[in-house]
Amino acid sequence: MPIESVREGGTLIAKAEARIDGANAKAFQDDLESVIEREDHAVILDLENLFYISSAGLRVILLTAKALQRQETEFAVCGLSDSVKEIFQISGFDKIIPMHPTVHDAKNAL
Amino acid sequence: MTERPNRILVVDDEPDVQPLFSQRMRRDIRAGRLELLFAGNGVEALEVLNRDPDIDMVVTDINMPQMDGLTLLEHIPKIDSDIRAIIISAYGDMKNIRTAMNRGAFDFVTKPLDFDDLRVTIDRTLNHLKEWREALASRDKLVALQNELDIAHHMQQSILPTQFAKGNDWEIFASMEPARNVGGDFYDVVPLEDGHVGIAIADVSDKGVPSALFMMSTRTMLKGAAIGLLDPGDVLKEVNALLQEGNDTGMFVTVFYGVYNSNTGELTYANAGHNPPLIVRPDGSSVLLPMTGGIALGVIPEFDFSENTVKLEPGDTAFLYTDGVTEAARSDEDFFGLERLRDIFAETPPKSPKEANDVTFAAVHAFVGNLPQTDDITCLALTRSEKTP
Repeated sequence: MPIESVREGGTLIAKAEARIDGANAKAFQDDLESVIEREDHAVILDLENLFYISSAGLRVILLTAKALQRQETEFAVCGLSDSVKEIFQISGFDKIIPMHPTVHDAKNAL
Repeated sequence: MTERPNRILVVDDEPDVQPLFSQRMRRDIRAGRLELLFAGNGVEALEVLNRDPDIDMVVTDINMPQMDGLTLLEHIPKIDSDIRAIIISAYGDMKNIRTAMNRGAFDFVTKPLDFDDLRVTIDRTLNHLKEWREALASRDKLVALQNELDIAHHMQQSILPTQFAKGNDWEIFASMEPARNVGGDFYDVVPLEDGHVGIAIADVSDKGVPSALFMMSTRTMLKGAAIGLLDPGDVLKEVNALLQEGNDTGMFVTVFYGVYNSNTGELTYANAGHNPPLIVRPDGSSVLLPMTGGIALGVIPEFDFSENTVKLEPGDTAFLYTDGVTEAARSDEDFFGLERLRDIFAETPPKSPKEANDVTFAAVHAFVGNLPQTDDITCLALTRSEKTP
């Protein structure tokens, strides 16, 4: 299932759903790559409906962050549940990827 | 079919090496398990390797006339890429150890030679080689995916130690239950000088052959850095920098690395994005080791890892685990979780590191029931005994 996404101005907002783990990480990566355009100024990944992410999922997010950094596109995540936020904090990913409570906050911070 | 003896080529320019190895390995030689061949430098070694296609592994010194051990390492794969090499280096000679690892050495031992350690290292290498060959042999018979996972699985299994260093008033136990589709957990125990011991637990992102290779290199780099550097923060910083070179795969590894000082009972640690371990008290109560603000290795090129030190009182157990424990699931949203783990210890305070492992595995098994295991489950425990003998 392709991921749900909207584009507001130059900002792409993409939603990740349910869980990202070893079983669907590759599909998630392909989906995300297919919706991101080179012209996007910023990409916000909305994790509001995500309740679990494994290290395979984090790897896709890291690859995305690195690719966006190369094309000088801003990147942020938002709407993290407590458990997903904890996974970002323990792994230290919160140090390299800005986290915001809501899409609105993320847009304001760009 | 009887198995032929494993054939090992020992390369060293010291004249007493041949009688020493022959004497110390005589039981294995007599029992037909090992055959030793000798060469005095890299050039001689290559001649022997070219002549004898049945050599399984090479144990080589570094400094030798005509051709040194590091140059020899570069030539070995051209003769046979399946030959595994162990190097003998000076204690703490990180530069050469690292060069050797980069050139494909499987493991290393340090001088002065401890033959017990050498035998364990040789056994592990030969075991790895056997599994590797079996995996390669079965390659053609299996569908590509399953085959890859099998190879990764064997690689992962063959690097994990199953015998652990112990002291007068402390002991260590660790084990891993691999998932069917191979996660990439590993643990290691590195004996250090002056009553110190390094303990590590790690989890590589994703699975399959690429992550198994990533795991192998992390483990060798970590072991090398642990021997060369005493501070856990420096060790993680070093491994991070090494892993970063040429890593565009987005792969990363979370590592907890601590050094236990048996003279003081202190555990000094740094944490690269790994789940914080627990200290379990003799009454079963437990505390989480405070986070030190690290980040998984391989994510950013330069990072300084902060350290923290805690004291283990007699009877305390430091319990390291991977997310295979806390994220074991019996449904999409029902995880085993840290609190359940702490409850288990509260109910059954572990008296030994093995007991800490056993109650954890039993509880996780009971929790998930018959559902397939989706991630490796790995635990390492270090217990400071209640009474000193």
